[in-house]
Amino acid sequence: MRVHFFKAMCDVCDCKIQLKEKLRLCFTFRQTVGFLVAAILMVALLAPNLSAQGLDPAALLRPPTDVWPTYNGDYSGIRFSTLDQINAGNVESLSLAWVFRTPGSVLKSTPLEVNGILYFSAPDNVWAVDARYGRLVWHYRRVSEGDHIGHRGVAMYKESLYFTTPDAHLVCLNAKDGSVRWIVELADGKLGYFATMAPLVVRDHVVVGVSGDVTDVRGFLESVDPETGAIQWRWYTTPEPGEPGSETWPKDTDAIHHGGGMTWMTGTYDPALNLLYWGIGNPNPVLAGEGRPGDNLYTCSIVALNADTGKLVWYFQPSPHDVHDWDAVQTPVLFDADFKGKKRKLLAQASRNGFFFVLDRTNGEHLLTAPFIDQTWSSGIDSRGRPIAKPEATPSPDGALVEPGSDGSTNWMAPSFDPQTGLFYVNARRIFSVYYNTVTGKAEGWGGRDRILWANSTLRALDYRTGKVVWNRELGEGESIAGILTTAGRLLFSADNAGNLLALDPTNGQTLWHVNMGGELLASPMTYELDGRQYVLVPVQDVLYAFALPASATSKPETTVNTGAVQKNAVH
Amino acid sequence: MQGQKRSSKHAKKISFSLAASTLALGLWASVAHSQSDPNEAAAQRGRKQFQQACGFCHAQDATGGRGPDLVRSPLVAHDKKGELIGEVIRNGRPDKGMPPLPATDEQIADIAAFLHARALEALRSSGVPSDYPVEKLLTGDAQAGKHFFEGAGGCKNCHSPTGDLADIARKYSSIELEARMLYPEGKRQSAVITLPSGEQISGPVVHYDDFVIAVRDDSGWYRSFSRGKVKVELHDPLEAHRKLLDKLTQADVHNLFTYVYSLK
Repeated sequence: MRVHFFKAMCDVCDCKIQLKEKLRLCFTFRQTVGFLVAAILMVALLAPNLSAQGLDPAALLRPPTDVWPTYNGDYSGIRFSTLDQINAGNVESLSLAWVFRTPGSVLKSTPLEVNGILYFSAPDNVWAVDARYGRLVWHYRRVSEGDHIGHRGVAMYKESLYFTTPDAHLVCLNAKDGSVRWIVELADGKLGYFATMAPLVVRDHVVVGVSGDVTDVRGFLESVDPETGAIQWRWYTTPEPGEPGSETWPKDTDAIHHGGGMTWMTGTYDPALNLLYWGIGNPNPVLAGEGRPGDNLYTCSIVALNADTGKLVWYFQPSPHDVHDWDAVQTPVLFDADFKGKKRKLLAQASRNGFFFVLDRTNGEHLLTAPFIDQTWSSGIDSRGRPIAKPEATPSPDGALVEPGSDGSTNWMAPSFDPQTGLFYVNARRIFSVYYNTVTGKAEGWGGRDRILWANSTLRALDYRTGKVVWNRELGEGESIAGILTTAGRLLFSADNAGNLLALDPTNGQTLWHVNMGGELLASPMTYELDGRQYVLVPVQDVLYAFALPASATSKPETTVNTGAVQKNAVH
Repeated sequence: MQGQKRSSKHAKKISFSLAASTLALGLWASVAHSQSDPNEAAAQRGRKQFQQACGFCHAQDATGGRGPDLVRSPLVAHDKKGELIGEVIRNGRPDKGMPPLPATDEQIADIAAFLHARALEALRSSGVPSDYPVEKLLTGDAQAGKHFFEGAGGCKNCHSPTGDLADIARKYSSIELEARMLYPEGKRQSAVITLPSGEQISGPVVHYDDFVIAVRDDSGWYRSFSRGKVKVELHDPLEAHRKLLDKLTQADVHNLFTYVYSLK
């Protein structure tokens, strides 16, 4: 399938040689991988524990506390850790364990941690770093053309890592040394595609999506073979004419094939239902919707796909016919909880349009829609739970004042669900913008832009049963993109707009600990435990900070410092 | 799209437009790079040639009609200087009903320059141009705007058409003027800090968060205090603007702008 795809692309471009080269490399790697697999199998038969540096696939199903094996830590996207060594009672003594710098490369990535090694990324770059001591293991760099807006992280399968690139390629690296196993093209970068997301590994599927809405290209999500990069399935986010959903696009125009719908964030997965949940990006042209009347499925939707076939099982659309860039890519967070007296398998999303949605994730049944912050664009909620847009909020040549602005009431930064408090936490912003539709002929690309006037950020705890704000903590003026982590230590980690890393009480938002990090958190904190010591990792700009309790507080009795030696040293 | 703007107070707006333009420029740069600086004269000549020879099927602006939209064309995206476009023009697409068209190398280069310029325009549409025509914004009623200014809007409490707003419309571009009318950011907060001793220090705020307040005092020196130990009274000159943002209707905005624009 991959071969056909390349051929199709080559027919209309001048990069035949380049692509053939990639194909050849691909096949060479396939052979190499074949040998490797055989070798690994032999080793595994002889001594199952020898490949202990790779990722045990079982860890993805029930992550033990010493591993953070995927972008969100586990498949649910709740970003809650059961670790409690660092807790509300001792967080005041949290101290710096180590610092790792990535000069010039801003980190928006959530590191993976597997067997004592951290793997994280920035556009064009992947680092492997010792999770105990913060020392570099290896650094991979592949410079490419394309948008370098940010990078969320890598995925791992056994001993391989998967890394997406600005020129919309997928790179498979050997986790041991950062060497390249293979590289495949996901989409044609010349058309405006790029990639920033951390793929999601589900059994023997590497699920990967693409970015790019400056040009009117078509979004898709695909699954590739972890060993070869061959396409297993590809699901386009807009239907073909005649297929279900195509009735939400105009007939007899090219709109449906240029309708956008990027898949630029990592989704979640329910192993019991074998369903992938993915948030889909905004339609194109972005602000000028006059050429695409209709709901524009499946843009700005949450979709459930069969993980093995990529077939659509159900969908829900938070923003029908979006004209504000409010993609619905925010994490579809999965948890099982009581809803109106019934235990249900839930999916909750705090969406970029300012509304909180709760669905039954088995079938997509709508359960709740509630605004989680002020907004001025919607007049109510329709019978299917979708916000109704006010006509006057549509971008216009003379400008439409709307809250929120195109950056959204929230965005890609990680939310969290804490099963101990039963609260859903979201980084929520008030943004006032004037949206201009600047189109004079046929709309192409964005077709306009909003001008931001004022923004303010808050961290909010929502009651998932009602969507009501249980507590609100101001983060300061401006647009925060700090993610959230909660832990069993009754702590919530995030940051304010003044560069303070915060440990809050998740029940009421009170600050328990803070430190000025010297820059804003543009990623999400994560945590793991090694050798009985819990670490909290916080990427700030181009510095990765590791915090832990003082070693003396966490080390075992036999490793405590000999008092005599200390006294002796003290004499000097 | 991937909205990831940074967010410090003062850089907020700049960063917004930067992020928007970086995105466009990133692609623009790669397109421009791949076509070795399309010059405008060539694109202008190309426009005429295109409209005569190709416009009937592909539309005058190349956005497609009977023939495909060439602004979104993968072939155009991969073309550098007409080498791919020229092949199609000279050979046609007989299977799709496009006849071959004789053309000189110069004509093909010009048409290619035009098509690349059109693709660039689409990329650039993710930003509002600084020379956006003010006429497009003048859809309101200046009299109603004046009425709002002097009445419900409460604008005259702080502003005067013959004082601080005299000639205001000459100072800014259309979009800039509208943005500043709604929220003239950059005005600094000031604070009065009362120390436990009762001593008061006041001045423009340099830093303010949940934990620390810092101002420049009367003598110009930086002074910082733990929020827990002092009493802080903040004065925000933009508070009235923020309250107004919550209340404004689209008509208010257009009326007010039409009125403010008349102040020149």
